Parts: sequence; C-alpha cells; structure tokens
Amino acid sequence: MDDKVILLVEDNADDEALTLRALKRNNIKNDVVVAHDGVEALDYLLGAGGPAGRPPHAMPQLVLLDLKLPRVDGLEVLRRLRADPRTRLLPVVILTSSKEERDLVRSYSLGANSYVRKPVDFAEFTEAIRQLGLYWLILNEAPPNKTP
Amino acid sequence: MTRLTLERRIEIGFAIAVVIILAVGAAALRSTAATVESARWVAHTLEVRGELEATFADLIYAETAVRGYVITGDTTYLAPYDSALASLGGLLAGLRALTADNQAQLKRLDSLAALVAVRLERFRWTVETRRAGGPSAAGRAVIGGRGKELMQLIHGLVGQMEDEEGRLLAQRSATLQSKARLARFAAWGGALVAVTLALIAGALISRELAGRRRAEVALGETQTRFRQVLASSTAVIYANTVSGTTFAPSWVSENVTRITGYGIDEPLRPTWWIDNLHPDDRARVLAEMPALLANEQLTTEYRFRYKDGTYHWVHDEARLLRSAAGTPVEVFGSWVDITDRRRAEETLRVSEERFRLLLGSVRDYAIYMLDPTGHVVSWNAGAEQIKGYRAEEIIGQHFSRFYTAEDVAAGKPEAALRAAAAQGRYEEENWRLRKDGSRFWADVVIGAVQDERGALVGFAKVTRDLTERQRAEEALRASEERFRILAVTANDAIISADSRGDITYFNPGAERIFGYALEEVTGKPLTVLMPERFRDAHRTGLARYLATGEARVVGKTVELAGRKKDGTEFPLELSLASWRHGPEVAFTAIIRDITERKRVEDTLRRHTAQLEVANAELDAFAYSVSHDLRAPLRGIDGFSQALLEDYAERLDVTGKDYLARVRSASQRMATLIDDLLNLSRVTRHQMHVAGVDLSALARGIATDLQKGDPERRAEFIIAPGLQVQADPGLMRVVLQNLLENAWKFTGKRPHARIEVGSATHDGRPAYFVRDNGAGFDMTYVHKLFGAFQRLHGAQEFDGTGVGLATVQRVIHRHGGRVWAEGAVDGGATFYFTL
Repeated sequence: MDDKVILLVEDNADDEALTLRALKRNNIKNDVVVAHDGVEALDYLLGAGGPAGRPPHAMPQLVLLDLKLPRVDGLEVLRRLRADPRTRLLPVVILTSSKEERDLVRSYSLGANSYVRKPVDFAEFTEAIRQLGLYWLILNEAPPNKTP
Repeated sequence: MTRLTLERRIEIGFAIAVVIILAVGAAALRSTAATVESARWVAHTLEVRGELEATFADLIYAETAVRGYVITGDTTYLAPYDSALASLGGLLAGLRALTADNQAQLKRLDSLAALVAVRLERFRWTVETRRAGGPSAAGRAVIGGRGKELMQLIHGLVGQMEDEEGRLLAQRSATLQSKARLARFAAWGGALVAVTLALIAGALISRELAGRRRAEVALGETQTRFRQVLASSTAVIYANTVSGTTFAPSWVSENVTRITGYGIDEPLRPTWWIDNLHPDDRARVLAEMPALLANEQLTTEYRFRYKDGTYHWVHDEARLLRSAAGTPVEVFGSWVDITDRRRAEETLRVSEERFRLLLGSVRDYAIYMLDPTGHVVSWNAGAEQIKGYRAEEIIGQHFSRFYTAEDVAAGKPEAALRAAAAQGRYEEENWRLRKDGSRFWADVVIGAVQDERGALVGFAKVTRDLTERQRAEEALRASEERFRILAVTANDAIISADSRGDITYFNPGAERIFGYALEEVTGKPLTVLMPERFRDAHRTGLARYLATGEARVVGKTVELAGRKKDGTEFPLELSLASWRHGPEVAFTAIIRDITERKRVEDTLRRHTAQLEVANAELDAFAYSVSHDLRAPLRGIDGFSQALLEDYAERLDVTGKDYLARVRSASQRMATLIDDLLNLSRVTRHQMHVAGVDLSALARGIATDLQKGDPERRAEFIIAPGLQVQADPGLMRVVLQNLLENAWKFTGKRPHARIEVGSATHDGRPAYFVRDNGAGFDMTYVHKLFGAFQRLHGAQEFDGTGVGLATVQRVIHRHGGRVWAEGAVDGGATFYFTL
C-alpha cells in the first residue's frame, strides 16, 4: 500500500530543507510534495480549473501550511480549502514562525486542525516535526475519503 | 295567663272542626251500613216466603196430578207429581238453611217436613191403589183419606212461618230506622258545628289581618317620616353587622347618595369603606377599630373619597350593640362631612403659621409685644439678632432695660408708652442697649394695641438697627468695588446688555479682545461683535427668549465666533447669564478668546492622528518581525546543527565550539525577538478594565513555578484579598514577570522567600513583590526598567532585560507607577500602583 503524500506549503528554501531533514531524521517515509506559494498549493489540491476542475492528484494525508506566502497567503489557502467540499475535511496543520494572537485566532476560526510554531532551535524543531508525524500520520484517523 | 296567639287559636279551631267532620263521616258510614243490612234482611224474608210458597205449590201440583191419574188412569198426569217429589226435598233443605238462625222457625219447619212427608206417603199410596185396584179403589182411597185436612194443616203452618218472617222483618226494619235517624241527626249536627267553627275562625283571621294592615300602614308612615328626616339630614346613618371582629355593612341611609355621590348599593359592598379611606389615614383608622369593641363606641375623623374622586373630611361616630349574651352584633353610626370646618381650621392654622414664620424670618427688625405695663410678651428672631437676648431670657422682663441709663433716669420708657397709648403711635431715633451693653442707633416705633371695645391690651414694638444698615451699605459698596476691580482686571471680556440687546457695560478685557473702546460700543447692539452670518440667529434667539423664556444659550457655555473691530474673526467661548433688573431683563456675557486653545487642540488632534498611524505601523512592523525575523535564525541554527551532525568528523573541537556558539547566539536572538514582541504586544493590547484578584493570580503563578522546578524549596507568602480594577491579561503579565524574577534571583538561596502584598504609598494602595534573593545596587536603580538593561551577567542569571520594561509599560498604561528598592545580596522589592 502506498504511503500517503504530505503536502508542505513553504516559500523559504531553508525552512523547506530543514523540514525535509527533520522528517527524514524522524524516519517519516511519506512522499513530500512541496508547494512554494499559495497558488501552487491550491493548484495541487483543487486543480488549475479552480473548484470546478478535478484535482490531478490524490488527496494528501496531511497539509503543513505556512502562513506568510507569496501571491496567496496561508490563511487564504485555508479559507479556500475549507470552502471546497473536496478539501473541507482535509487535515491542515499551520506550521509557521509567528505566534501573533490574531494569526492563531484566524487560523482556528478558518478551520485549521492544529497550529504549530516553528522553534528556532533545530533540536526542538525536529522534535516538533516528530510529534506532528506521529500524531497526524499514525495516531490520527483520517477523515473518510468520500465527501459527505 | 299568656294570651294565645292568633295562629294558635286558628290551629285549635281547625283541629276541632276536623274532629267533628271525622265524627260526622263515621256516623254517615254507620247509617249507610245499617241501610244495606236492612235491605239484606228484606231480601232474606222474601226468599223464605218464596221457598215456603213453592213448597206449598209443589204439594198442590202433586195433589192435582194424583187426582188426575186417579180419575183417568192416565200416567201422563203423574208428571207434576214426579217433579214435585223431586223438588220438595231440595226446597225443604233450602228452607232449613235459610232459617238456621231462628229456633222457632226451625221447629215449625220440622213439623212442616213431617206433614209433607205424611202427605207424600198418602199420594204414593193412592197412586199404588189406583194402579192395583182401579179407579174405584182409588176413589175410595181419596175420599176415605184425610187429604183435605192435611193440606189445611200444611197451609196453616206455611202461613205461620210467613207471618213469623214478616214480623221479624218489621222488627229489624224498625231497629235500622232508628239507627239511621240517629246517624242523620249526627251528620246534620256535626256539619252545623263545623260550619259555625269555620265562621268563627274566618272572623278571627279577618279581624287580625285588618289589625295588621292598620299596623303596616302606620309603620309605613313612620318609615317615610324617618326617611324624610334622614334624607334632609347632613349625617349619613349606617349599620354594620358584627361577627367576631369583622364588620359587614348592612344598611345605610339614602342621603349617602346626595352627600357622597355613591349609589345606595355601593356602600354595602364589603370593602367600599376601606377602599375609599384616604391612604394616609387608613392605617390609623383601622388601628382605632378595636377600641370600638372595647369601649362600645368610637369617634374618629378621617378623609374619605367621594364618588367624584375628591377626598372629604368625615366625622364618624359609631356605637356598638351587643346581644343579650353580650356578643357584639351590630354597629350603628353617623357620619358627617366636616370638610368645610376642617378647611377653615386649616386655613386659620396656615395663616397663623405663615404670620408666625413671617415674623420669625424677619431678621432686620426686632418685632415684639409688650403688655400694657411694658413687660415683654413675645420676641422674634430679628429681636434676638439685634438685641442679643434669646426669647426665654427676655420674656417677662421690662422693656426699660433696652434704654440707656440716662434715658431710664429721665423716665423716657414710661413717657414713650404714655405717648403711644395717647396717640396710638410713637416714633423716635435714639441709642439703645444690646444684651452685652453695647449701644446701637435705633429707629423705634411703638404702636398701641387695643381690643374691639377699645381697651389697651399692649404695645407692638418695631426696632430697626440703623448701625447695621449703614454697615450693609458699606458692604455693598465694597462688593461693588470688588466686582469692578475683578471686571477691570479680568482677562476675559465681560459685557452686559439690556433686553434690546444693546451694550451697557464693556470691561477692559472686552476692549482688548474686540479692539473697541467702551465709549465706542456703549448703547450699540451686541451684533457689532458678531460676524455677519450669526446676527440674524442672535436677533431671533433674543426675541424668542424674551417672549417664551426658552433658553438655548442663556445659562450655558458655548463656542462661537466673534468679530473684532478690524473685521477679523476669532473663535470664542461664551457663558451667558440673564437676570431681572426691575421689570427689565438684562444679560451678562463672559467671553474668552480661545484662538490659542483651538490651535493647541488642533495640534493635539494632529499628534493623536500621527500617533495612531505610528501605532498601526508599529503593529505591522511587529507582525512582520514575528514572521520574518525568526526564519533566518532558524536557518542559522538548523544548518549549524546539520554541519555538526553531517560533517562532525571533518571539524576539530574548536570548529564544533564555534558552531555551538553560532547556534547559541541565534537562539538567544530568537528569545530577544520574542521578548521584544511581548513588550510591543503590551503596548498594542486593547485595555479591558475589570475586577482582578491579584492574590488568586499570584497563587496560580507561584504554583506553576513550583511545578516547573519541584526540587526547589521556596516559601510564597501571598496576602489574601488583593482586589484591583485593571486589565486581567496585562496584570497577569506584570505578576508573571515580577514573580519569575523573584524566583530566578532567589535561585541560589537555601531558604527562598517570596512575598506578595500591599502597602499604602502617598495615600494610595501600592502592591509589592518582595524576595530575599540577589538584590541589586541602588546606584543603578534608574536602569532597572529600561529595555535590554541588565544588572547581572548572563553567566550569573540569564535573561534579556525586557521583563521589567514590560512591567513598567503595563503599569504606565494603567496610569500607575512602578519602582524598586533593593541592596546587593539584600533582596529586592518591586512596588507598583494602579
């Protein structure tokens, strides 16, 4: 059985490399697809045709979403995912630098499943990624594939 | 002897009549029964006779038949004989049954039966003879026999029996006749007696009814008279039934409608009386009610609401009626409207009170009364004020003590009274004495007071202290001078105008502000001081105020524009007052040139706007820092770690140490950024003031600290009940920082003690967090609250130096003050007020 894909939405190449490294070091073998801004992420999940078009890919098991992104920011991505019936239940974890109260409030209001702040200390960062993987890829029961 | 009532007599009469009618009935019944008995006996007699005749007839038939046979030998002639033989036995048996009750008749019947038997035997023998011997033998037998004699005997016996029956019938009929007569007599007699009794009873009833009718008519007349008396009365009469301690209205005289307006039925409603009692009197009147039961009577006065809604004073006098057994049964009372009397009394009282108050309130005049010999009998407040005596110490004293010794010696007091008595009035100006012996120049008027017959009853004295008036006039002059100086020196313009709006006063401040001289504007309309566009509104407003008193500007402070002599406009603040000067309305305005204030306000507004923009920029900046400044640090730390992990074998110890330092520095930078963001968040945070329990907050933070480091021994002493009005989130930040500091700097103490409490500082409550930790040098206390300022090396105690700056920021935002006291190794105390 194929491992499900993780979609990492991250514009910073350093953070991308560090995240991939942390995943690898935690033996998380899932394929990781990287979208470098909000538009790419939405294209991947909803298809270029917008809500009407069929997505070209299978739904990822987890989306790790940064908030500050070029073109379309993370909160807008989250809003559109939650507005679309196909991605309404998709697990989305906000993984970002800020812990500004308004970011937290807006993320959860828009239906984020979790909010994790990226620690500067790489050891802590690795630990955070390990726990994320353990929780979202192993412990957590994914929502049914069928859209209700 | 008690007289029988009519009802009793009629009852007895009817009982007698019934008894008589019953007796008559019984007699009639008996008479009828006798008649029936008599008829039965007649029938019986006839039946016996019939039987007897039939017996005899049968014998005759038999004889005839035998003869016929004897003569003819034809046996057909014997038919009647045979039938007679057959029936005779039955007939004789029937007769025996019929006469069974009569012994004589039975004996006769026995004889008759024997004779008949002999006769029948003879017939049988004759018939036999004829049959055997032929007609001749038979003829002989007939002739030779004693047939004829026998038949006569039988006939005689039958006749005897019939006579006996007839006699018996006659005897019985006679008996019955007499009985029936007796019954008839009884019936007639009884009926007569009954009719007589009925007539007597009828007469009695009709006489009694007539008597009653007369009594009713008499009663009706009395009632009408009574009603007329009540109707014309001013007193309402009423009755109440009493059960226990409750009263229920049962009757009220009809004049209640004329007097109170209520319908005759309304007062009979149980709560009518209580409902219409004046609310202020209700409790009192109800409290008096038990006295009615105790004293058998009650007189009270109260206000009562009439039908038209007005309240009237009512005089209510009630009497209690008790039954023979002593229980209260009824209350009768009368009720008189005394509103007019009350009103008159009240008017008199008010008038007297007013007069008393008037006299009492007169302070500038001593007004008092003397008796005809000159002794003081009354004393007002003015007298007390002017002469210095209180009423109780001067009443009864002779008025000569108000005179100077030389005047008394000259007999002036008596002379004054004589003059007043003679001319009715005496007046002088002279020196008088106060209680303390000081003199005052007085204007004295003495008036003689006489009663209706012209007799002298006393003197009224009015004394005025002219010294006092002079003093008041001086005070007024001084006051006017003060006001003049005030008006002259005031920076504000003070301008008065009359009711036409023409300027009557223009102070130097006004001259300075408007550029006009007093002489230029006096008598000119106020409108010269206004820009063109306000003049119409001013004229309309003035006219409206004078016509209706409706004030839009008078009594208020408003901002308007003014016009200087040179035509320039300027902003002003105007306070306008109006007052009456005799019949005239006048106005005074105080006007301040607010050009400068407006300019400052504008600047302030501009600065506020700039500040808001700066705040928004700061917010955007902080947001950006929060996101963007940390990412590179994460790269530095992450890739340093990657180097350490992936290229460890190519790095010597120094190289690894450098990388470790790079990581440490980047992490420290991240902490600094976070602390800075916290500091700026405190500034940007929207304040929401509420009640905050500092004690509870401190206890929670202390528990968290203890949990975070269970190995440490620290004593927290937190005063209970520290309640403040503040932003709960920001107060948590303050206590968190102060307690974490205390926790940190007592880390090297074996017996750490951290105290939270309150003290009074400059009359305001101050709260403090005190520890027995490392403390600090008071020389550097001024640096304590600056951002990034640290008094300890990072090796000794870690930290960024932002915590206390954050605390100070929060306290300042609450309008409070924060300060610290401490000594090196002597602990530290941080105080704050809110």
